[in-house]
Amino acid sequence: MLIEMKAIQVNQGNASILRDVNLSLDKGSIYGLIGPNGAGKTTTIAAALGLVPVSAGSVRVLGKDPWTESRFVHARTGALPEQSGFYEWMSAEEYLAFFGNLYERPLTRGEIAQRLSQVALAPRPGQRISTFSRGMRQRLGLARALIPEPELIILDEPTNGLDPRGRRELHDILQELAADGIGVLLCTHLLDDVERLCDRIGVLVSGRTVVEGGLADVLSANGLSQRFLVRLSAEAPPDEPHPREASILTGNGGWRIVDVTPAAKPEDVWRKFYDLGWPLVEIKRENTGLEALYLALTEGGTA
Amino acid sequence: MNAVAVIARKEAGDLLRSPRGLSWLLAMAAALSAFSLLLISDAELSLLDNAEAVYGMCAVIMGLGALLAIVMGVDTVAGEKERGSLVPLLIAPVARDRILFGKLAGIAMVWAAMYLLALPYLWAAGGAGQNLAEGLVSLALLGTPVVLGFGFLAMGMGARLGSTRSALMVCLVILLLAASPVILGPSLRQTAVGRIFDWINPLSVALNALDAVIIDSQAVVSQWLHWNLTLLFSGITLWFARDGFYRTAL
Repeated sequence: MLIEMKAIQVNQGNASILRDVNLSLDKGSIYGLIGPNGAGKTTTIAAALGLVPVSAGSVRVLGKDPWTESRFVHARTGALPEQSGFYEWMSAEEYLAFFGNLYERPLTRGEIAQRLSQVALAPRPGQRISTFSRGMRQRLGLARALIPEPELIILDEPTNGLDPRGRRELHDILQELAADGIGVLLCTHLLDDVERLCDRIGVLVSGRTVVEGGLADVLSANGLSQRFLVRLSAEAPPDEPHPREASILTGNGGWRIVDVTPAAKPEDVWRKFYDLGWPLVEIKRENTGLEALYLALTEGGTA
Repeated sequence: MNAVAVIARKEAGDLLRSPRGLSWLLAMAAALSAFSLLLISDAELSLLDNAEAVYGMCAVIMGLGALLAIVMGVDTVAGEKERGSLVPLLIAPVARDRILFGKLAGIAMVWAAMYLLALPYLWAAGGAGQNLAEGLVSLALLGTPVVLGFGFLAMGMGARLGSTRSALMVCLVILLLAASPVILGPSLRQTAVGRIFDWINPLSVALNALDAVIIDSQAVVSQWLHWNLTLLFSGITLWFARDGFYRTAL
């Protein structure tokens, strides 16, 4: 297990920031940590990185206590904090070289170029970071996080401010990392990112984990499905046969409302619909199961 | 490369390559130019004895050095925290003491840069007399712990308050308080309160010692008590900075 948090509590002064947080992340898994603003996501990350002490419960990262054995954890963990500042007067090459030296992994020019291309960042030679766009900064931050060749990578709102292409490219990078066996803890507001990438989720509300587990399991356990509105170009086939992963709730002329079970991939389900003779011409996502779950869980929470 | 050296080099870059650091150096150069021009060209100030001119320049250099150390000291923790560049440092596999000492070395480099910057001005103001060498030595010996002490104080304050603006305000008030006996002149300093203040105030301790060496031509070694007091000040503020830095979280 790369991260294991059990009933952790974090206090700052008299304020209780985290009250009961549970989280478990394994190798090759992408974990989505979601919750409203002020729910304690950043503090949870800080606890995992050994930046704040835990007042109760236990945290193990790579099998160690990150507070007492922070150097062990930091040497094997990459992190991209939400507000990731840079030394504006440096170039991307100088920046990576600086952190390479700090991580005791001095990087040659070739290695720096290779790491920049890994995150699809190609600044002009000597271009100062002060001239970088938000997307370029995120990529540079990710390149920095990958310097230690980590077993675990922790990202706080990594797709904030990225354009659709940048987001998609970041998704691809994270999926490649997970395929290589790296565990990814992704803290985000964007449920779409979680649905695309994560196999496990945790929902934090007011410093407590209210739901934790495999994405499909969580949605199934809560009886939630992915809901779609589909448009037909002609009559539906007789008796309206449908795959067992889907159920047709209601129909109105050329429209149907279809629920797809949480564990099923919608594209596979639509293929089966075509095979059954359905003349689908338009599919519109009405509500994701995760969105419904999130809204239900966070109702009344800090937002 | 050693982590302390890596961070110290970065800190030097913050001063010598960033627009903010360069602007501060430029402002310091302008202030030194203005003061040395006054010493040379003003009808009354130009009548000052050469030793008095060197002493005046040394006092100004130390004061400006302390001001620059405060600005850079606040920025190196609170400023970096506000800009979000501190966390990537804290999550590097480097002991906090090494990060801290790298940053402290950065403050020392700020003072070194200030000292080097001031040399031509000192020469311009007091190059004609015989007290310049004593002035340079005593400024290095006494100014270093005082300026570093103010830098450490600013680092610790920045780490505790977590806000550049608040930390800067508090440190500037402390610097002004420390400079007040110099501003208020000798009459207040002759009273019991003034004398006590003179002995607990690192700036006046250093200035009194500079006065004794440069103006009264006493030996530098005779000022060992003053020197120890300034070292004590930098030691206390170093502890303050270290304690604050260890409390720094996200």
